[in-house]
Amino acid sequence: MENLAALSEIDLTGRRILIVDDDRINLRILSGILQGERYQITLAESGEAALEAYAKARPDLVLLDVIMPGIDGFETCRRLKHTYGVDGAPVVFITAKSGSDDVVQGLAAGGADYLPKPFKPKEVLARIRSHLQSQTLVERQKLLVEQLSKANAAKNKFLGMAAHDLRNPLASIRGLAEFLCDGTVGPMTPDQLDLVRTIHDASQSMLDLVNELLDVATIEAGELKLQLEPQDLVGVLGKSIFLSNIEAAKKNTRIVQTEAPASAVTMIDQAKIRQVADNLISNAVKFSPPGSTITVVVHAAAGIRGFSVQDQGPGIPEAERDRLFKDFGRLSVKPTGGEKSTGLGLAICQKIVHAHGGMISAQNLPELGCEFRVTLPCPP
Amino acid sequence: MKFKGSVLLVDDEAHIRKFVGLILRQFSVSTLTEATNGEEALAIYSAQRSDLVLLDVNMPKLGGIDTLRRLREMDPECVVIMLTSLATRQVIEEAAELGAANYIRKDTPKDEIIAALRETIESRFDPDKFENDSP
Repeated sequence: MENLAALSEIDLTGRRILIVDDDRINLRILSGILQGERYQITLAESGEAALEAYAKARPDLVLLDVIMPGIDGFETCRRLKHTYGVDGAPVVFITAKSGSDDVVQGLAAGGADYLPKPFKPKEVLARIRSHLQSQTLVERQKLLVEQLSKANAAKNKFLGMAAHDLRNPLASIRGLAEFLCDGTVGPMTPDQLDLVRTIHDASQSMLDLVNELLDVATIEAGELKLQLEPQDLVGVLGKSIFLSNIEAAKKNTRIVQTEAPASAVTMIDQAKIRQVADNLISNAVKFSPPGSTITVVVHAAAGIRGFSVQDQGPGIPEAERDRLFKDFGRLSVKPTGGEKSTGLGLAICQKIVHAHGGMISAQNLPELGCEFRVTLPCPP
Repeated sequence: MKFKGSVLLVDDEAHIRKFVGLILRQFSVSTLTEATNGEEALAIYSAQRSDLVLLDVNMPKLGGIDTLRRLREMDPECVVIMLTSLATRQVIEEAAELGAANYIRKDTPKDEIIAALRETIESRFDPDKFENDSP
């Protein structure tokens, strides 16, 4: 009911209607029916005149007779659609014949609807109203989408600037805390050390967040430029596993690579794919209980290269699946060792993989945990 | 490692100069001079050449890339390490073409920065300029 109320509130005053008919009596009847409605009416008596009148009046709706001397209604409609495309006004055919062949032909020519003759005033008014309303809604939606994409671009620009300016001070805070923590500048009491470690860890996670925000802003602004080179995924993943194992050891978790093919070479931006691998593996460690085994598999089949990361965590709750790859799409599942998560990592992974023309997906494993799989194209 | 040369550190942000300055203390450099922008750096360098220059990219007045170009014109032997925050490939490539010896991202953990500095010093200077720590 609310929707209906909203529709009837759309003000159609001043909407422009072009009526085309070679029969002046029909023009007069239709004008008469529409008289009380405060539309702006333009009349044309042939297809050719209609094309001219359309260019001048830019109507919101065209009522178009089918059988006319010169170019007929169907042809007029086709030419209008050809010139104005999807942004053109909807065309409603006026036809004495309401046999389904004519209706089909009219719709095929790009018509939105038809009005059968003889006219029933209430039906004419209702149909015209309904077309003008949907036309108005489409226009509003276009405007909204335009405004939203401008707002989004502005947000990305702001985000980029803010993140950029935050990064250096954060790097210094973290770096200076590192010096205090390792005693380079003199000894500290255990209490002081505890405070400085907190400063270090907090600035580290802010730095991670800022870096990820910058990634998102860069990627969304269309500035993600891939430097594609032939690279072996076995090597790229191997490096990632080696370094991630150091972090994983703190949770007594192991990362193992199984079924590695001899090589899996394809065109990738090594640093970016490495970022994806690091992210998926560190997520796997984060969300698996201490003492777990994370399994990494590199795939190399005909025309396909890729890798998957299997964890032993609780899996992805089915209801939250569609949030998984969204910006800030943190799920109800929590890291098991108190690790931080910005909710941007998987969104960035997806954007990088898509930029490569590849796919990333996640599925729960039958017994325990879930598997993230990255598939990359491999040109022959 | 001990570096027996002079270093010119150029960055407009005081906290970065403090952080990188602490890193350089680990190398017990003979002289450390600081500049806060490219113009100042060029003036200092032309008066007194340094063995090694650490040069920020984004600075007011004269940016790092232009400063690097002028430094290398003044002294083609000048060893410069760029300090970057947003290490876009374009900036790195430009710096490499202009003859920068290396680049270091400022948000790198300090031990990695120290390692990168050590590598550059080992590859760019005669062995009498530095002294490796006894194992």
